[in-house]
Amino acid sequence: MFLINCPFCGEREQSEFKAGGEAHIVRPKQPTELSDDEWAEYLFMRKNIKGVQLERWNHIHGCRKWFNIVRDTTNDEIKAVYKMGEKPPI
Amino acid sequence: MLNYNRALSDEKSYQDLQIKEVQPTIKLIIRGKKREFFAAVGKSLNMLLPTKPNTSSQGEDLTALWLSPDEWMVYSNKTVRNDTNEYEIEKLLYKNISKLNLGAITDVSDQFILINLKGDKVYNLFESGCPFNFNEFRKKRGSVTQTTLAKIDVIIHNQNESDVNLFVRRSFAQHLFSWINDSASRL
Repeated sequence: MFLINCPFCGEREQSEFKAGGEAHIVRPKQPTELSDDEWAEYLFMRKNIKGVQLERWNHIHGCRKWFNIVRDTTNDEIKAVYKMGEKPPI
Repeated sequence: MLNYNRALSDEKSYQDLQIKEVQPTIKLIIRGKKREFFAAVGKSLNMLLPTKPNTSSQGEDLTALWLSPDEWMVYSNKTVRNDTNEYEIEKLLYKNISKLNLGAITDVSDQFILINLKGDKVYNLFESGCPFNFNEFRKKRGSVTQTTLAKIDVIIHNQNESDVNLFVRRSFAQHLFSWINDSASRL
């Protein structure tokens, strides 16, 4: 259990949010030209870092907006919160 | 026309806590981002939408709650007639906003139940099943929050220190009400 500072609503408890997985995965421009391996790489393969990770979260029981956070997966410490489309601060 | 059927079987009263359903009331969800949208809503409702997070603005007939940077709920301060489910205000907003592609208007009168909670123990009740910190919320009149109460999505509007309006989806109303009664009986 930890608190997340929603960039729209302020500090809320984690149970109000939904985790959306790794952030900044770019969709290939021409999916039709990719091999199955490359497509699977984009679709399924995630880094799953032990340490500082960039993640997408959704404030699903609140404002229902998506945003990004920088979280240390070993101790759940949140280093930064930033909106969609912004550059990661770390 | 569901709005005219009571969702809760009765009103309950405990020491320092009264719970009752207020119906029928108008509830609308308004969504939009453009600058013209804000102007059009302001002109139609005769009041401005709150742009500061977790706040509300109150007019003579209507109250607007901030739900998200581009979403608001507008509800009527008083109950309305129960012989029609067409509302002047919705028609006006539809004409001035939806028709002009400035934003979206959705009538959620039937979807949401308005429960009014009164008394000094309102926040004791919330604290028994809610992850939200009410310390600042209770001090500020007109503050709004969307959170979970007993794991049920609710919208809570602080009208006054001990007078709170709570919105819950109709399908969850009975369940929430029985939880409220269970919790309130042990406060």
